[in-house]
Amino acid sequence: MKNEILSVKNVTYEYQPGHPALDQISLSIGRGEKIAVMGSNGAGKSTFFLNLNGVLHPQKGEIYYQGKQVGKKDVKELRRRVGFVFQDADNQMIAATVEAEIAFGPMNLKLPREEVKERVEQALDYMDLQKYRKRPPHYLSGGEKKRVSIADIIAMKSEVILFDEPTAALDPLSADMLEKVLADLYREGKTLLISTHDVDFAYRWADRIVVFDQGKILADGGVREVFLQQRLLEQAHLKKPVLLAVYEILQRQGVIRAGSYPRTVDELAENMGGTIDE
Amino acid sequence: MHRRREHAHGAASIDYYACQSGIRHWNGCYKICFLLWALILCLILDSPGVSGFTVLIMGLLNLRGNGINFERYLQLLKIPAAFLILGSAAVILGISKEPAGDWCVSMHWFWLYVTKEGLNHALELFLKAMGAVSAMYVLALSTPASELATVLQNMHVPKLLTELMYMIYRFIFILTEVHRAMKTAAVSRLGDVDLKTSCAVFGQIGGNLLILSLKRANTYYDAMVSRCYAGEFPFWEEEKPVQIWQVLAAFVYTAVLALLRLAEEMI
Repeated sequence: MKNEILSVKNVTYEYQPGHPALDQISLSIGRGEKIAVMGSNGAGKSTFFLNLNGVLHPQKGEIYYQGKQVGKKDVKELRRRVGFVFQDADNQMIAATVEAEIAFGPMNLKLPREEVKERVEQALDYMDLQKYRKRPPHYLSGGEKKRVSIADIIAMKSEVILFDEPTAALDPLSADMLEKVLADLYREGKTLLISTHDVDFAYRWADRIVVFDQGKILADGGVREVFLQQRLLEQAHLKKPVLLAVYEILQRQGVIRAGSYPRTVDELAENMGGTIDE
Repeated sequence: MHRRREHAHGAASIDYYACQSGIRHWNGCYKICFLLWALILCLILDSPGVSGFTVLIMGLLNLRGNGINFERYLQLLKIPAAFLILGSAAVILGISKEPAGDWCVSMHWFWLYVTKEGLNHALELFLKAMGAVSAMYVLALSTPASELATVLQNMHVPKLLTELMYMIYRFIFILTEVHRAMKTAAVSRLGDVDLKTSCAVFGQIGGNLLILSLKRANTYYDAMVSRCYAGEFPFWEEEKPVQIWQVLAAFVYTAVLALLRLAEEMI
């Protein structure tokens, strides 16, 4: 793959001997890709992310960052380059104020004080958190906490960002906010991997879908390529995205342009030759 | 500054007050030094006037500075006050075989008596201790644990101790959070229907608490490691210079106490 940023080769990870959580995983990730990682609970998504980020070390196999194999000494560098936004923001909060929380990563990088300060400011602005800066993060609302946990990673200037089920437990407003942030990060050339159960979100957002099942990669391909395989969806216990199902019905009826595969409601309306009313 | 009054229980609420305190932006080292100084003065000057003044000023700092409302502050003071009252009772009451002291009550086998002197002494002691306690409350209600750790670190307390202190502090929060969630879940399924069930549930929660909090601590650790934590906790310290007026205020405070003490001696 051209412009590969991160790749894993034959990675195996076992929490208990004989029960691999990841079984010979190989995957290549290109710079600036939007990847949705899907699969049922316990399929290995979170373990995969923890390996990519360098928290867990694969028992077998190698990880390459920008073509260079990540050895024991480079793990810290890997953690810096690959940021991890945890599913439950509460588990990520360690400091007593939002400001100090965001500074935790940059401080661990042993950056000079001025630089840390600048990064914290940037991250606060980016996530629109200025007015919460002195507040204790544990007492913020769910959506606000999510914003803080993303700001944590933005301050580390990671090139690849892993999101573990970011839309879980978010209200619709916060979920919208999250999608806007994802769009901004994508525009800035960040490589984004999101593990999610939300097929509609994955269909709307991702360029590529990787499906995990029992520690193995069951499928890896473009959005349509994956979601159009009925058998694959059944095997991985995934549902067909609503918009895709609607499109298929409309296409059979002959009321939508064939091959248009709309990914948003607006696109659907466009391809039907009309616009939706408010 | 944004403030929310209604809030949680125990340690968590003290931490919450500390985070939203109106005098949080005061320099941490200054706060610790000044309040320790106030505590020492209150103890060594040993006069009811000084103690009363300390209780008053510290109360004002807690109410106006830390923004605790009056009822909540009284609640917070109740705990040490209960101990102090029990302690003072021991100082006030004397036992003898025959009537003695300024007031006495017969208890059939012996007499309980109180002397004016003893009463005065106990009152002074009570005031003194309340002064010291309220000074420490100002500190606890205005300085989050992380800041305390930073100040201690700057005073060259070994890193191992300050980091341990902070981690244990955080872990207490994890424990109380997990405990609360489990208790709510148990109560919602009638886990408190009678005393026997309550006791059984209490035991089960205790057992699960260990496993669950260890699991959560693990996740916490993973999250820290993923942000390059390498065994050393670098606390982010806001720059909070000491203001000249604060130093002056400390001097004025000391002077007023000294004058109070002198005045008392002259009377």
